[in-house]
Amino acid sequence: MVERAESRGVTPAPLPARSGWRLPPMLRRLVTMPLRDPFAFAGITIYVLFALIALFADQLAPLDPMEILFTKAGKLVANVAPGAEFPFGIINLGRDIYAQLIYGSRSALAVGLSAAVIVATVGTVVGLLSGYFGGWVDSLLMRIADMALSLPFLPFVIVLTGFLGADTRNIVLAVALLLWPNSARVIRSQVLTLRERAYVEAARVTGASQWRILFVHIAPNILPLSFVYAAIAIGWAIITEASVNFLGFGDPTSVSWGMMLQDAFSSQALSRGQYAWFVPPGICIILVVVAGFFISRGYEEVFMPRLRGR
Amino acid sequence: MKLVLERFAHNALALLAVTTILFFMFRLMPGTPLAAFINENLNADQQQAMLQQFGLDRPMWQQYFIYLGNLLTGEMGLSFFQRRPVTTILLEVLPNSVILTLCSLIIAYIFGVLAGAWLAWKRGSWLERIAVPAVLATRAAPEFWIGMVLLALLSFNLGWFPSGGASSPGQAYTSNWQRIASLDYLQHLALPVITLALYLQGLPLLLMRSNMLEVMHEEFVTMARMKGLSEWRIVIGHAARNALLPVVTAFALGVGLSMGGNVVIETVFSWPGIGRMLVQAVSVHDYPLAQGAFLMIAAVLAVMNFVADLLYMTLDPRVSHGRKG
Amino acid sequence: MMLSVEDLQIHYATRDGVARAVDGASFQVPEGKIVGLVGESGCGKTTAVRAIMGVLSENGWRAGGKVVFKGTPIDEKNTRPLLWREIAYVPQSAMSSLDPVYTVGAQIVEVLTKRGGVSRSAAKTRSAELFDLVGLSERRLRDYPHQFSGGMRQRAAIAMALALTPSLLLADEPVTALDVIVQRQILDTLRELQQRLKLSMVMVTHDISVVAYLCDEVVVMYAGQVIESGPVREVLSRPRHPYTMGLRNAFPDLLSNAMELVPIHGSPPDLREPPPGCRFAPRCPFVQPACTSGPIPAAIRDGHLSACLRDSEADALRTLALDPVTWQRSLNSAMS
Repeated sequence: MVERAESRGVTPAPLPARSGWRLPPMLRRLVTMPLRDPFAFAGITIYVLFALIALFADQLAPLDPMEILFTKAGKLVANVAPGAEFPFGIINLGRDIYAQLIYGSRSALAVGLSAAVIVATVGTVVGLLSGYFGGWVDSLLMRIADMALSLPFLPFVIVLTGFLGADTRNIVLAVALLLWPNSARVIRSQVLTLRERAYVEAARVTGASQWRILFVHIAPNILPLSFVYAAIAIGWAIITEASVNFLGFGDPTSVSWGMMLQDAFSSQALSRGQYAWFVPPGICIILVVVAGFFISRGYEEVFMPRLRGR
Repeated sequence: MKLVLERFAHNALALLAVTTILFFMFRLMPGTPLAAFINENLNADQQQAMLQQFGLDRPMWQQYFIYLGNLLTGEMGLSFFQRRPVTTILLEVLPNSVILTLCSLIIAYIFGVLAGAWLAWKRGSWLERIAVPAVLATRAAPEFWIGMVLLALLSFNLGWFPSGGASSPGQAYTSNWQRIASLDYLQHLALPVITLALYLQGLPLLLMRSNMLEVMHEEFVTMARMKGLSEWRIVIGHAARNALLPVVTAFALGVGLSMGGNVVIETVFSWPGIGRMLVQAVSVHDYPLAQGAFLMIAAVLAVMNFVADLLYMTLDPRVSHGRKG
Repeated sequence: MMLSVEDLQIHYATRDGVARAVDGASFQVPEGKIVGLVGESGCGKTTAVRAIMGVLSENGWRAGGKVVFKGTPIDEKNTRPLLWREIAYVPQSAMSSLDPVYTVGAQIVEVLTKRGGVSRSAAKTRSAELFDLVGLSERRLRDYPHQFSGGMRQRAAIAMALALTPSLLLADEPVTALDVIVQRQILDTLRELQQRLKLSMVMVTHDISVVAYLCDEVVVMYAGQVIESGPVREVLSRPRHPYTMGLRNAFPDLLSNAMELVPIHGSPPDLREPPPGCRFAPRCPFVQPACTSGPIPAAIRDGHLSACLRDSEADALRTLALDPVTWQRSLNSAMS
């Protein structure tokens, strides 16, 4: 009797650790991965879509999101339901929801990307230094990381922006300050494993300087990890910014999805059932954040060697 | 035992660091150094009392130690706007936050563990391929937005639940316990808990699933099969038992993290908890109250981190029982 | 005959195609005998043994052949009642084979109560007996796997395997992970137990000295096939397959005159696309054109089987195989 097990689709083997910056294979992996993983592909599509929306916001939204609309007779255009002229309707203060949605993508991407860049940079540098040099450098950096982790996230951001001022930059700073330890830790443990690998030993024996080893032999194998964490950080930054805005500590003159939700909430849009006002911004946030999750998940499979292979 | 002390020291130091950071942060606020604890809202007597209590006329380093000493006795100053001791105010609202957090986490974790194990069971099926991204989407939605949608739908639209607060006006109770156990309280608690549970279940689900997948490939699971043990016993008795270890630790950590994260949920539902207190205090610049609320949240976080360490140490025999050779 | 494996074929689905880990292996385990299953890594011996238990990994399946236990054919479907009660398994690494969160005693009791239908108290007594049998103190039943040393863990694994008094014991490299002195102790324990309990055993190993020390019969596998089998004395002193001859050279005897280590150059073929004919041909110093043209029939003489076309010249080839130069020649031809 022949029993047949389901042939499993197997993900490609992870990139082996090597010296030097081997760009072509790395780039090839970068590009081919989404073709294999439909969700990562969807994630990248979403990112691209929102990037385009942010770029071409002026063309896509004819109305100024902050402009308060009045009828020809001078009355406030308020709480208009979605229709042909205003795809998502108008809020209580006469502003176009659709325009706010479109322009909101700009602030979302700006916040997400800047936070991600800071988190990735700080996390990578700390992880590299900590993992490679060990000793007091490691202890010191990890202590600082621990301190950052014992600060309650949202309350800290609130306190910071509440007292230092409602500026998006403060929010980004606060987010980055509290998110870098996670990536630093993972990168550090990766460096610890790589440090013991044969090719690093070989480099050391042949007299390569510490900095050279760090930069040429270890860093290229770490960078993909940084990207993975950067992708996750984008999502967290956007959600945090939205949360802070929602609580009323954001910049009221800024156009963002979080601000839209704040507006909707404080002007009783919930009780009026103005779903077209507060549902779309949430959906947009979900899309961007989940795109980040999918992308990082896809690249994690490729770049993070699984310690227990199957 | 040595390990326990080490973890205790570690967490205590972290809390100390947070307190110190807070101390200096509030001193650097706009206004005079006294502004951290004194405000024109307080009457003259109260101002004088605060001056003495916190040694506000002494040098900075002395103030620091007085501050720490006060904290250990539970003295956190007077709220500018309520003109009552901060500690009293916080202790009044603490139970609400604790109940919200615990109820949501317990529901989220029970569901997450069961669903995660089940999804691991369904490895490779189309269901799993859709379910995992769907769960990721629940983690991608801001908690308060889920709250808003549910509030609009289930409360305003359908009228199933009250729209906010922890109690309906005009209720009288003889004791705090009676209030908490009342139907009215539960009705108000329902929607916030549903929202939070929906948001939180993603983590235990994904964690349990990935742990189960890993454990199912362990050699001892294959051995259990070779012994001819029933599938039930293998999956639950051996695989799940091993996979649960990190989940239990995550639960403890989740309690600590949730107390801070509940800020937004409490605002959406006007739930009178510590988070909401913090937000209100910060918006009106009620420094003592804001400080106190923040510290209480940080303290819960540190305590739960320590509890998580303890759980990990006691539940994993590899850590609790040393080698005998 | 306790166990009879006939033309067993086990295939695995891999990323690059189907690998035929076991491709037509046949051997027998007489009652009360210890059969050594020897070969290098990847030759299919572990896979064959696991297939007998009916426990294969997700991407593996039995593509053909028969396994007959005590006269009844068994496969994945009907093996369950036999598992552990009739056929038991001793793993290579007891550390990863025991659940880390339960005490060893609890795991033995589990198998006794759930599979043996024994009461808890009777199970506790029995587990103490089992530990005693393998030379472990009863007090150790309360310990967790990680608290045992390597050798003691293997003993515990053996005790576990004997819990339901099986007729057949499948030992998968049970001493490979141990140091030589402990190895010897465990092997002695195994031999003693086998004699006392009249067990039939299959001992999978890559170490010929273990086979020489413990086994009655030996089965040599290469690239998923059985290339030689027979009584241990016979096969090891008078091997008839070039591979076995090479294996013998690769294990120097401590007490013999210093003979240089003669390795067999090259490596086994890719199991996804096995070559026609003899699979050892690329590395064989005695290869001839006919060797690679078609399947090699097995020649059996007095219970000694050899799958080599030049079996009739075996004695002459054996003498040549003792000379390192012979193998050097095969290296040259392999590299040309």
